[in-house]
Amino acid sequence: MTTLTTPVPARTLASPFHWVRRIPMYILVLLFCIATAFPVYWMTLSVFQPIEYSLTYPPPLFPQAISFDVFQEIFSGQDTAQRVDVWIFNSIILASMTTVICLGLSILGAFALSGKRWRGQGMFGLLLLMTQMLPEALIVIPLYATIDKLKMKDSLLTLALVDTAFVLPICIWILKNVFDTIPNEIRDAALVDGCNRMKMLWKIMLPISAPGLVAVGVVAFFHAWNEYLFAASLIGNRHLYTASVGLGSMISMIDTPIDKLMAGGLMFSIFPVIFYLMVQRYIVAGLSAGAVKG
Amino acid sequence: MAAQAAINKSASGRRRDYLPYMLALPIILYETIFILIPIVQQLVSSFTSDMFGISAVKWVGLANYDRMLSDKYFWNSMRVTLSFMGGTVIVAVGAGLIAALLMNQNFRGRSVARAIMTLPWAFPDLPTVLIFMWIFNPSFGVMNLFVRWILPIEQNPKWMMDINLALPLVIMIAAWKAFPFYGLVTLSVLQSIPSELYEAAKVDGATRLQSFRYVTLPEIIPTLMLMGVLACIFAFRQFALIFLFTGGGPARTTETLVVAVYKAAFNSFDFSYGATIGMAGFVAVFAITLLFAYLQRRQEAEAAS
Repeated sequence: MTTLTTPVPARTLASPFHWVRRIPMYILVLLFCIATAFPVYWMTLSVFQPIEYSLTYPPPLFPQAISFDVFQEIFSGQDTAQRVDVWIFNSIILASMTTVICLGLSILGAFALSGKRWRGQGMFGLLLLMTQMLPEALIVIPLYATIDKLKMKDSLLTLALVDTAFVLPICIWILKNVFDTIPNEIRDAALVDGCNRMKMLWKIMLPISAPGLVAVGVVAFFHAWNEYLFAASLIGNRHLYTASVGLGSMISMIDTPIDKLMAGGLMFSIFPVIFYLMVQRYIVAGLSAGAVKG
Repeated sequence: MAAQAAINKSASGRRRDYLPYMLALPIILYETIFILIPIVQQLVSSFTSDMFGISAVKWVGLANYDRMLSDKYFWNSMRVTLSFMGGTVIVAVGAGLIAALLMNQNFRGRSVARAIMTLPWAFPDLPTVLIFMWIFNPSFGVMNLFVRWILPIEQNPKWMMDINLALPLVIMIAAWKAFPFYGLVTLSVLQSIPSELYEAAKVDGATRLQSFRYVTLPEIIPTLMLMGVLACIFAFRQFALIFLFTGGGPARTTETLVVAVYKAAFNSFDFSYGATIGMAGFVAVFAITLLFAYLQRRQEAEAAS
């Protein structure tokens, strides 16, 4: 009897009109989505519609016709130094070298930071933090001068070494966070079984951390992929242009057709977008290194 | 048993454990070669006159610093850097906070909205510049259309060629690219707030605004502060986006410190003067980083207690 006379909770009473109160929220969500998605939509549109639609004012907001001709142009020109596929190939070489160097070093660094505390660990962490915060543009001058003196310009390996220096700290933080999630019991068990610590790292910790290693690889790969400043100042040979330098050179050429520019930009963005969305939670945890703990 | 005893001994014994130092050494060496030595070179170079091989390098003492302090373009670049930093921090962290609060609600299509809102973060700088150069193109840009729907103007704005619009535009683009990151971090904190706190607030008769003010805000303020500092540093570093979008122009209204360094070195070939401006930048970055480390440590201490 008492259960029947219990007052109905206010929320249930209001429920038929409850959604009305949520309208402002839906509008906000919609606004945010439009603001973030529209630029990407607009780029895609200008790649796949014939260029004459892009070059009218006012521009049509929705696709009127579809054309794939622009890909023919950017992938098969006479001059290989101006072809987007050659640039992307160079970028893949550069980014792969960076990934390998960076993975090797960040495994060591993360392992050092993830075990018991040691004297000087704070200083080591601060060194990494400083490197992570340092604007590339502030040391491009001395690096350029030294590399020029050593005749090491125009080399993708040199560029990979420089890029690694800047992406290494964040990779170490990401991997340290992953290592920290491995329970101490697992480590201790391996040590009891007669592993030394390097063997334990290799045989036990790395296999468990595989997703984290992938995340670190992705971060390193696309750091080198996206990097513009060092690539633009250290690579002068047009046949070694990475995609970022190549696209940058397209921007500064006044007469590049807009569909070509946008197609190049789209090709350049597809890989990072796919991979970043896959590993975002690891990156967020590492980038904010400590900001979200507790 | 013997193995266990050996471990205990090596872990707690008085003998110093060298493994962490061996692990850290290659990284310290690497960063010394590629970061620390160049910084020292930069410092030395700022006391000389190095015109990149054009003339003999001479020791000039503090002459470059004298020049910098009386250079109105240097102070201009400081002002631009501060405005750009302030602008991006407020817009990007603010938009990130709103996005995180929205994504923390339950509604249909949330995962789709979340994926869309994460998109700009994954976009590299170069395509971002390309897209916005096209959208804000003074002749064909689609933004002209939108603006003229809303505002009664006769002519298309000159966008990044306009000295009043260039900096706000660059700020907006930088914020477009950066806000998802701050949103994702804030969201992960929001989701870690125990729901009992909200229930308790509700029992006490708190309105939604009050429960935001007294439950949510105290929990996320430390993170917001940390992100604010982080955003300052990211804004300070921002080079490619600004340099490619405006080149520092028009009339130096978007010439931040890093752009000024680059232009001094690679457009005027005045390496020493570029290095001098760079040193001013170091001082700023150093100060901000220490502030970040301090805030982070304080927050960790609070979380531990």
